[in-house]
Amino acid sequence: MRKCKFEDMIDGYLLNRLGQGDREAFEEHYFNCPSCFEKLQERDLVIRTIKNHPEVLTQESEAREPFFSRLKTELAAMFTPRQLVLAGVTAVLLLVVVFALVPRQQIPAPNFFLTDEETVRGSSITLISPVIDMGQVPASFEWKKLGENVEYQVSIYNHELLWKATTKENRITLPEEVRAKMVPGEKYSWQVKAFSADGTLIAVSSKVQFKIADK
Amino acid sequence: MVAKKKKEEDVQELIIRYRPIITFRVRKALGAQNPEADDLVSEIISQVLEKIKSGEFRGESSLGTFVYTITSRRIVDYIREKTKVIKYAPEPQAYPDPQETLESQEASQKIKEALSRLKPKYRQVLYLYYYQELSREEVAQKLGISPRKVSELVNYALKLIRKEIKL
Repeated sequence: MRKCKFEDMIDGYLLNRLGQGDREAFEEHYFNCPSCFEKLQERDLVIRTIKNHPEVLTQESEAREPFFSRLKTELAAMFTPRQLVLAGVTAVLLLVVVFALVPRQQIPAPNFFLTDEETVRGSSITLISPVIDMGQVPASFEWKKLGENVEYQVSIYNHELLWKATTKENRITLPEEVRAKMVPGEKYSWQVKAFSADGTLIAVSSKVQFKIADK
Repeated sequence: MVAKKKKEEDVQELIIRYRPIITFRVRKALGAQNPEADDLVSEIISQVLEKIKSGEFRGESSLGTFVYTITSRRIVDYIREKTKVIKYAPEPQAYPDPQETLESQEASQKIKEALSRLKPKYRQVLYLYYYQELSREEVAQKLGISPRKVSELVNYALKLIRKEIKL
């Protein structure tokens, strides 16, 4: 809306700063211009309030409203209600996208390095035992169960693959002949891979190292 | 019958439209505390209606200007009657005006709240400009900013207040 040229006279008129000619011209104008008269009344009330209650402007800030109320006021001054509603709707939509839709997207599974050349993506398997140095050759290996119909492949390494076996349980007992190959003072590592019923690799554990203590 | 009803409606519309403007003008000239202000407003409205009825308003100027002229003349006459001094036009009344209607008291309360919530920089500039009645240049000099910046601060503060009292 175009600003009326007389609007700039409102303060001058109310504060008695206009010359007689300007004052009379402005008075005649506001008898003819409802918009200017409305602004005049409003400004008159503001100035009258300031004149009657100057302490409102000189008091310290402690009586003032908290940050969010001021933010609300300033936002209301900067934007029209329509713009605020649009901003609100946009914010809600963004929240829906971020918190409801994005998590449903297929998030890439972490990478697992099987060997230097071999990398797969999949869920992780938590190994339970052995994960620290052992006083003797472990009798069995245990890990956290992933679900039903999962086949686990357990591999034990020295410097190279020492033994590999599969099971549907979440633990496996080491055969005597393998235990016999494992000697105190040596470092070993082990890893478990999980396969679905159709043979697809679905999860891999990290390769955990343990040492068998010297006797 | 229909014409008479239409005429009555026109008169009502005229009173509704111009009474607040005439009241504002009269109070500005005489002060709202003047006990005769309301009577003077009623008298001016009667004069306007009478002059329209007698055909004095011929549409040479706008109706607003016609009402303004009658209002200003009556104010001058009033001052003349009271003071017997004709030399100058009535001096406008200075603030503050202690008399406030219930409606304006409510609005004034809202404005007070809005003022108290303004940032110090806005409150300071409003205090100097409206309460101390310094010019924009004087406020600018006092605060070490440009007169243009003073205008911006005043206008923005008024905008904030306007939004708040209309919420």
